[in-house]
Amino acid sequence: MIKAQSVRKVFGSVTVLDGVDLTVAPGEVVSILGSSGSGKSTLIRCINGLERLDGGSITVDDFDVSKPKELAEARKRSGTVFQMFNLYPHMTALQNVTLAPVEVLKRPKAEAEAEGRALLASVGLADRADAFPSQLSGGQRQRVGICRALAMKPRYLLLDEVTSALDPEMTADVLDILAKLAKEGTTMVFVTHEIEFARTISSRVVFLEKGRLVVDLPTEQFFAADGGLANPRIAQFLSKMRKD
Amino acid sequence: MRIDLSLLVPYLPFMLEGALLTAQVCVLALLGSLIVGALMAVARTSANTLLRRAASIYADLFRNVPFIVQLFFFYYGLPEIGIYIDAFTTGVVALSIAGGAFTSDVIRSGILAIEPGIIEAAQVSGLSKTKVFSKIVLPVALRTSVRPMGSVFINLILTSSILSTITLNELTGTAKIVASDTFKPFEVYVVLLIAYATLTYLVSLLIAALHRRLNRDLGEAVR
Repeated sequence: MIKAQSVRKVFGSVTVLDGVDLTVAPGEVVSILGSSGSGKSTLIRCINGLERLDGGSITVDDFDVSKPKELAEARKRSGTVFQMFNLYPHMTALQNVTLAPVEVLKRPKAEAEAEGRALLASVGLADRADAFPSQLSGGQRQRVGICRALAMKPRYLLLDEVTSALDPEMTADVLDILAKLAKEGTTMVFVTHEIEFARTISSRVVFLEKGRLVVDLPTEQFFAADGGLANPRIAQFLSKMRKD
Repeated sequence: MRIDLSLLVPYLPFMLEGALLTAQVCVLALLGSLIVGALMAVARTSANTLLRRAASIYADLFRNVPFIVQLFFFYYGLPEIGIYIDAFTTGVVALSIAGGAFTSDVIRSGILAIEPGIIEAAQVSGLSKTKVFSKIVLPVALRTSVRPMGSVFINLILTSSILSTITLNELTGTAKIVASDTFKPFEVYVVLLIAYATLTYLVSLLIAALHRRLNRDLGEAVR
């Protein structure tokens, strides 16, 4: 269970997260929607401990991310996929995937490599395992990024606008993989601008505006005229996103 | 005038000894300045203000004082307050400290050039601070730092000739002795020129090979 309670984050004079409450239970796929600057990515960065909280608390399976000792445990339980991939440039695709299992989980190298190759094969990269990031396309890099997160067998997958840097064709490749993961029961927190996709894979949708969590509803209700759409701000956001 | 290198033949074993000493000093000092430089680069990019300031003072101090002054201070100055170090050790330590100041600069800029997201990815994957540094930060920084570091190292080899001023008979030291023995400075220093040029050329070849190896994913673009 990921539990965020009254989370506050301030950058200088800007309050980016203003008392956000969010609970993600195992098996759920929760999409976080909102305009840019609404605090979506910051919320993810607070969950994986990349940002220090200015108020409230976040626990991942009861491990408090604001305590250094517990953060290490919390981080073992969640995997993050980034908008800009952030692959290690000096390592091959396979090495990117096996680094943390070997160094953090102390898995035997041969085992980790066999699993890493299987993971890469499952996203259609069997023949690219020994390529370096600079030799891969954007879509391929992001698929490696997903494998790198999955290799740690995380209970929660945090996805931070993972298709925003990809063209539509590559986006489709990556979304197919995420849909498959959702079907397999992977718990996901999904920050995205892909509204239609969010609608098809999420069990819940939350809407952030100016650092506040405005709506937290099951997907069907969120998109229903008397549900989330009854909120004029959400209706406006959705119609604008669909036009783009 | 006639140039006759053959008259140097009897002195060759002696000069070779000097060359060997130069090689020893340089290898140790290169390692030393790499270690000192890497540590100081970490300190200079650390979040700890005190550590950062201390390391900056170190780098500024040793970059801004002539090497020969540093060397004389260690070798002739320190004994005044009871600290005696032999010429060889003094040479290696002085070169490591001075070289470390320049190396820390080069590695520091390599570290600052790393995409922050890459380091964040390593952090959230659960790697400890030391692992993030040894597995990600240092190797990625070296990809861009290795070439400028080569210049620092070559300079270090050239600077090692100054150690002849503290009674260390390395290559330059032996050459000076041979030149005054034979009254043939032209021939002696021609040999010296070639010896240093060969030594530094070898190092630059090594650096180029290392650069290619560290950036092997980029193929022809980096050659």
